[in-house]
Amino acid sequence: MSTLRRIDDEVRSYHWFVKALMVVVLVGAVAAMLRFVYGLGATTNLNDTYPWGLWISFDVVTAVPLAAGAFTLGAIVHCFNIKKLEPLVRPSIVTGFLGYSLVSVGLLLDLGQPQRAWHVLWYWNVHSPMFEVSMCIMLYTTVLFLEFLEPVAQKFGWKVSLRLLRWLEMPLAIAAAAISTLHQSSLGTFFLIAVDKLHSLWYNPLLPLLFWVSAICSGMCIIILEATACHKWMGEPNEGLLLRTLSKILPWTLGAYLALRVYSLVLLSVGPFFNRPWLTLSFLLEVGVGFLVPFIMFCNKAVRENDSRRALAAGLVVFGLVLNRFNVSMFGMMDPQNPYFPTAIESLVTLSIIAAHILFFVLIAKYFPIFEHHPETVDYRIPHRPVKTAGVSGQSAGRG
Amino acid sequence: MSFNRDFSRDGTFLIDLTKCTGCRGCQVACKQWNQLPAEHTEFFSGEGYQNPPAMSEYTYTRIKFRDYQKNGQHEFAFYKEMCMHCNEPACASVCPVGAFEKTAEGPVFYKDNRCIGCRFCMIACPFGVPKYEWSKALPLVKKCTGCLERVKEGLHPACATTCPTAITYGPRDEMIKLGKERLLKSPERYVQKAYGYQEAGGTSVIYLTALPFDELGFKQVTKRALPEYTWEALRLVPGIFLTAGAGLSALAWITHRRERLRQELEKERAALAAEEAKEDQE
Repeated sequence: MSTLRRIDDEVRSYHWFVKALMVVVLVGAVAAMLRFVYGLGATTNLNDTYPWGLWISFDVVTAVPLAAGAFTLGAIVHCFNIKKLEPLVRPSIVTGFLGYSLVSVGLLLDLGQPQRAWHVLWYWNVHSPMFEVSMCIMLYTTVLFLEFLEPVAQKFGWKVSLRLLRWLEMPLAIAAAAISTLHQSSLGTFFLIAVDKLHSLWYNPLLPLLFWVSAICSGMCIIILEATACHKWMGEPNEGLLLRTLSKILPWTLGAYLALRVYSLVLLSVGPFFNRPWLTLSFLLEVGVGFLVPFIMFCNKAVRENDSRRALAAGLVVFGLVLNRFNVSMFGMMDPQNPYFPTAIESLVTLSIIAAHILFFVLIAKYFPIFEHHPETVDYRIPHRPVKTAGVSGQSAGRG
Repeated sequence: MSFNRDFSRDGTFLIDLTKCTGCRGCQVACKQWNQLPAEHTEFFSGEGYQNPPAMSEYTYTRIKFRDYQKNGQHEFAFYKEMCMHCNEPACASVCPVGAFEKTAEGPVFYKDNRCIGCRFCMIACPFGVPKYEWSKALPLVKKCTGCLERVKEGLHPACATTCPTAITYGPRDEMIKLGKERLLKSPERYVQKAYGYQEAGGTSVIYLTALPFDELGFKQVTKRALPEYTWEALRLVPGIFLTAGAGLSALAWITHRRERLRQELEKERAALAAEEAKEDQE
């Protein structure tokens, strides 16, 4: 009884925004259950013309690149050995782990036979990009879980696992980057089969490469947004200096993406390109506002060094990435005479997946030492005695 | 997958739409053989005279009506929609659990006990053939079976057996030969092309028509086998995985070694400096 009361008191003490998120998640969970009671046809606007809708376009095709920060930063810090960015690694791993777990939830809701999801492990088909992505997502979620175990072990003071996990840090970061390269690009391979269906503005043989490079860009931008938001609303330390370093990398990746995009459009695609006004507009918004403008912004030192302008540029990249994934997986394949709109239930479920991501991130940040991992203040030796409470571990780690 | 298999003896439908009378015996035979329920439909709910308005989980084949004028007279042209049973099926290549199989007999067979219901086959199929059980809580995919059980027993598919005029069934090479003969023999009767001969890399359903294909509602489809488009990228997967893994490992080794060397150098210098300072003192 007293445990329940403690939990009750704890929840009551939360900020109203966190409570609102909890309500959204609960409502979304109920909406998701309706899908299993009444079926996909009754609860969604999917049909034989539109077999994939909002859940695939956002919950899978968009959410995966948005969670790409973990592998990008892992590679930057551990392989390129830019150690000063280390404090950003843990929050990005938490984001990645949550992101991929929620991708799995979204995918299970969308599958007709979710109870058979394990079939992918049993009946291999290496010719299927979906097989490749499913295997990678399962593997990578495991890797992220192992990486996420470190703050957990630290919180509960598990000595042996901490030693093991620190030893594993590097191989895990390399595995994460290799696996992510595969599935981020394979998400683009999905749409290579839609030869005569996807509009020429988006269909080209470089789709996998474009998906990979843009995922790297958006992964870093999500880290920038997240760190800025955590500083602004959660009272976490200002990582402005580190984000400045991170945003020096962005002009290169964004530039590479834009160059590849132009190259694939001009030399590898066959028109017609500008025969559908809405698609043309969507294309201009995506490439212009979503990639070109932030590219120019990130090239500018004044933008990189200003917290709010840097965040704005990062926000534009995220906008561009989301629009790109929707253009490829939804708008570019739509029949204008008979368009698809998600139902209230579909939208609610997707909204609550986003809410769940923010909610769990806030709660994990509250209870686990994910922001206290500053290398200059952390004692990297294996602890001699178990740390008794979270408070102590937080204090001993100190705050940058 | 069976790239470069010989498809010439696969059971193939030659559907001569100039001989089709629109009786829809094939639709009925298909429903009977596959025990598919009837659909509640309304006449003219689709584009024209056809009923049901589209293929669905209950309707694996359907005659599409095209109303046109010839010499001031109203004429009908027909199109029998069904699974094309591609030589190299897109559905089979994208299915993560390999639930589709191009059988040696010709039909593309769907193993419903494997399917996880991801609907990638529906996205991939250039002909829009696989349909879904949208009304069910745990739905599966439905499509024309090519009457595999019948074909295995030496019978012809139900629709081909029933059709009084238009459908011939037999090995692919013979059907192609027969089609070519007809095109040569009465050139005024046909569009001088056979749909399915090369579409999507070749299919086990081949159509002859009097009207241009697009006017009848045939989809314009690439001549290349669709699995090649994705395989072009996917075949690189092992190489990319190894390259990325090895490259990053090497990079990590180099950067960390460089850092260790730098630290050692600094330590040496500090020691040297300390010694010098000691000597100076002395």
